[in-house]
Amino acid sequence: MTAISTEVLLAGGYAALLILIARGLDLLARHTHGQTERFRTGGFRYDPDHDHWTCPEDQLLRPYGYDHRRRLIRYRAPAAACTACPVRALCTDSAEGREITRPVDPWPHSEAGRFHRGIALTLVVLATVIVLGELLRNHHLGELIMLGALLAGCLTTGRRLTDHLHATPGGFPAPARYQGLPPTPETDDRPDDYD
Amino acid sequence: MTAPPSADAVPHGRLLISKAWVQVAVLVVLFGFLVLGVLAYLVYRDEPPVPRQVVGDRGQVLFTGDDITSGQQVFLRSGLMQYGSIFGHGAYLGPDFTADYLHRAATIARSNEPGGDAALIADFQANRYDPATRTLRFSGPQTTAYLANERHYADFFGDPTTAKGLLPHAITDPAEIHQLTSYFAWSAWAAAAHRPGADHSYTNSWPPEPLVGNRPTADNIVWSVLSLIALLGGIGALFGVYGRYGDRLGWRGRQADTLSFRQPGEVALTPGQRVTAPFFFVVAALFVAQSLLGGASEHYRADLGSFFGLDLARLLPYNLTRTWHLQMALFWVAAAFLAAGIFLAPIIARREPRGQDRLSMILLGALIVVVAGSLLGEFFSIRGMVPASARFIGANQYEYLDLARLWQILLTAGMGLWAFILWRGLRGRLRGEHRGNLPWMFFWAALAIPVIYAIGLLSRTTDTFTTADFWRFWVVHLWVEDFLELFTTVMVAYIFVLLGVIREKVALIVVYFDIVLYSVGGVIGTMHHLYFSGAPAQHMALGAFFSAAEVIPLTFLTVEAWAFLQLGARQEAASPTPFPHRWAVMFLVAVGFWNFLGAGVFGFLINLPIVSYYEIGTGLTANHAHGSMMGVYGMLAIAMALFCLRYMIPPRLWPDRLAKISFWSLNIGLAWMCFATLLPVGILQLYHSVSTGYWHARSLKYLTNPTNSLIEWLRLPGDAVFIIGGALPFLYIAWLGLRHAAKARPATPGETEDRLFTEITGPVDR
Ligand code: HEM
Ligand SMILES: [Fe+2]
Repeated sequence: MTAISTEVLLAGGYAALLILIARGLDLLARHTHGQTERFRTGGFRYDPDHDHWTCPEDQLLRPYGYDHRRRLIRYRAPAAACTACPVRALCTDSAEGREITRPVDPWPHSEAGRFHRGIALTLVVLATVIVLGELLRNHHLGELIMLGALLAGCLTTGRRLTDHLHATPGGFPAPARYQGLPPTPETDDRPDDYD
Repeated sequence: MTAPPSADAVPHGRLLISKAWVQVAVLVVLFGFLVLGVLAYLVYRDEPPVPRQVVGDRGQVLFTGDDITSGQQVFLRSGLMQYGSIFGHGAYLGPDFTADYLHRAATIARSNEPGGDAALIADFQANRYDPATRTLRFSGPQTTAYLANERHYADFFGDPTTAKGLLPHAITDPAEIHQLTSYFAWSAWAAAAHRPGADHSYTNSWPPEPLVGNRPTADNIVWSVLSLIALLGGIGALFGVYGRYGDRLGWRGRQADTLSFRQPGEVALTPGQRVTAPFFFVVAALFVAQSLLGGASEHYRADLGSFFGLDLARLLPYNLTRTWHLQMALFWVAAAFLAAGIFLAPIIARREPRGQDRLSMILLGALIVVVAGSLLGEFFSIRGMVPASARFIGANQYEYLDLARLWQILLTAGMGLWAFILWRGLRGRLRGEHRGNLPWMFFWAALAIPVIYAIGLLSRTTDTFTTADFWRFWVVHLWVEDFLELFTTVMVAYIFVLLGVIREKVALIVVYFDIVLYSVGGVIGTMHHLYFSGAPAQHMALGAFFSAAEVIPLTFLTVEAWAFLQLGARQEAASPTPFPHRWAVMFLVAVGFWNFLGAGVFGFLINLPIVSYYEIGTGLTANHAHGSMMGVYGMLAIAMALFCLRYMIPPRLWPDRLAKISFWSLNIGLAWMCFATLLPVGILQLYHSVSTGYWHARSLKYLTNPTNSLIEWLRLPGDAVFIIGGALPFLYIAWLGLRHAAKARPATPGETEDRLFTEITGPVDR
């Protein structure tokens, strides 16, 4: 007897749908995050090989500081180039040259990233609850196979969504390169409310 | 080194952005309302007629037009629109009385119909209304059915138990039963009888009912397809244009200013700002009560018989808990908007005239009176305890506008007072400022709120349902899908300007961009609520087409404005002081998310006429309503409350952890509610509606089947997290605000600072 009951089909199908939605939300949120970044970096191009930015007027912005608290690398254009720049008013008020930043950590570490992952994870937990509930109630071979596969889907998706919480997440940029940079001074003497 | 106050703080006599923005925005809004005006004319011309009298096959008078109108009033004041629905509009526990009457009548008539099913269909589709004598004639089988249905509804509403979620003996007066039955009979007649010269009924052949030949009309299918194309094409076009020209909008790529945020405790509060503390406390208290009532309403669906062994329905029947649940949702969200407006005005104006605090307290007092008075009125109205002479102050009206007429008028007046308070506070700043700039936009957006709400006064209980529903949705829809979105955008954009996240010019572009995007679809899109309530087919066509266009901005939000809302969460500048609004800004991130999911995706899921045809009044609407109403406006209200409360609570007492717990609990609880229960229950119900029949999918027998009960129970953990982890901590934070606001550093009524930060030119380390 390997028949799969309607109940298991429906519940399993819904659990599968939840897993898909969770993954879809994660993709969308990641994409949106890129757009948010572009609010700040629009017109600037980052070159990962040389670790510098090029501004719309073709000036290079080189790394000059590392912000421990916000885990950002700061890049700056030569002040002289900016002072002479025709579109300076659209770009910066700073007399030190235009600055741009890049987060050290990959996407999910941003505040918004954690939120979107949290929601996606909620859906995966729900899918797991449904699958486990059905596993308790149904024991035909076909059902066991289907629910087992779904459980595996839940677990892998759950792992994927929590990879940013693990010690060495995949794609984590090697920290070594930035260690030579001077840290941005901490002028903040208040208790840090960014944990 | 602190820079001199930025140029943004002084009035701009000229418009900060290109005039074309204003022109386009005005044109789009005018066009929308012009079309709505034409549709208003058509709805009065083409609504189903209310006959002077309805006679049986032998000429005997069955009921009169007065019975129909009185029936509607019995229906409304007994809270039945918060129990079941009429023309698909109302609550979802009880039956849809149009579909229910129609199905019962057709089933009874079928056994008396010698000509078979084809004759039955012809009988129900024939339009025997004579406009000259304003007399409607029922056939023999229809007459028999009417009399049988009257007995059925006498039993139904006379039930001595609470087994249906209503009060015991809810309605027993034979006259009232007669009127109710007449009202249902009229609505069922309009749902089946063909419009003169058309091949569909007054309701575009809704509800689906094979016995009387009701199936989706050609218009229904064609406009469903067209609106789908409009959506996909619109999204494609917008992305194409944006990808090409988007950078010219000019909000990209400027260096974030280095700011020093003025910390809570250093920001002096005006008397007007300090009285928002009791507002927010009322907001939070209403929120807790409202979510508890939601839990009680939900319980009726999971276990109709008893409330953990208690016969709750004797005291709080389902229709009462649901009425209160809905009313309070509007009240607490609106109150939070009012308070946030009052709080922001002095920051924008940089001064506060004397007496703003007193006026605001009057507003709060009025609000409390309206809330208490209307909720009490609803309690008595549902019990049938409001004498005819007191209906003005105690008879429930249509769903969402449930509060009795007096309270409705007072609430409108209260919001008018609020607009006046804002104007008074802003006056100094508005003078000399261009009418299209941000301070004026703030005022215009605020003013639109009472104006649109006032339109609801056109919706009277004595009107035909069709026209009343038309005006009712001006409030329900235009509020949430256009003008509140607009006020939200202005408010958030302004807060971001005040916090130095963006420049005033950029904020202004975002605001105009939003007006255009929301109004293109949102204004005419109002008609997506009127597919089947007796308005002619044009309403369905335009409603479907334009409301599909509403989803375009919401999809777009996922890439632009969603990103915009996230801006505040990306603090990158080397500020010497911590950013004080971490959790307020996170709630805004949540608003962006739910706007996309709850409003955009869940809304479009039920938006096509062909889907709505089988879906209206079922679980997927509840799914959408919760995801959007709580997800967007609930989260927004809390974001604004936390923003303001942050300055009222001394920094050392600010419970950052509680704010965090509340944030996570509310979002996880809401996601759980939607995905564990509302969405799956809705999908199953839609399936059942298509496969077995709409009337059956709306019956208590179906709703309380074991599968549904199980899924309803599944949401309990989410609801518990939402209420205990989400609503209660928020209440505590609001209470802290109430306790400490009076002790906040006072600002002299004359001058306040204009910014919540000081600008630092150059990096902080020099
Ligand atoms: C934040 C924005 C929104 C909010 C707060 C909201 C809220 C609601 C609420 C409370 C209802 C229930 C009305 C009732 O019971 O009659 C509703 C119904 C509906 N909404 Fe929305 N909505 C929003 C946006 C949208 C959007 C963008 C769409 C799609 C284009 C949409 C489509 C619909 C439809 C078709 C119905 C009618 C369903 C029915 O009557 O069964 N909504 N909405
Ligand atoms: Fe709507």
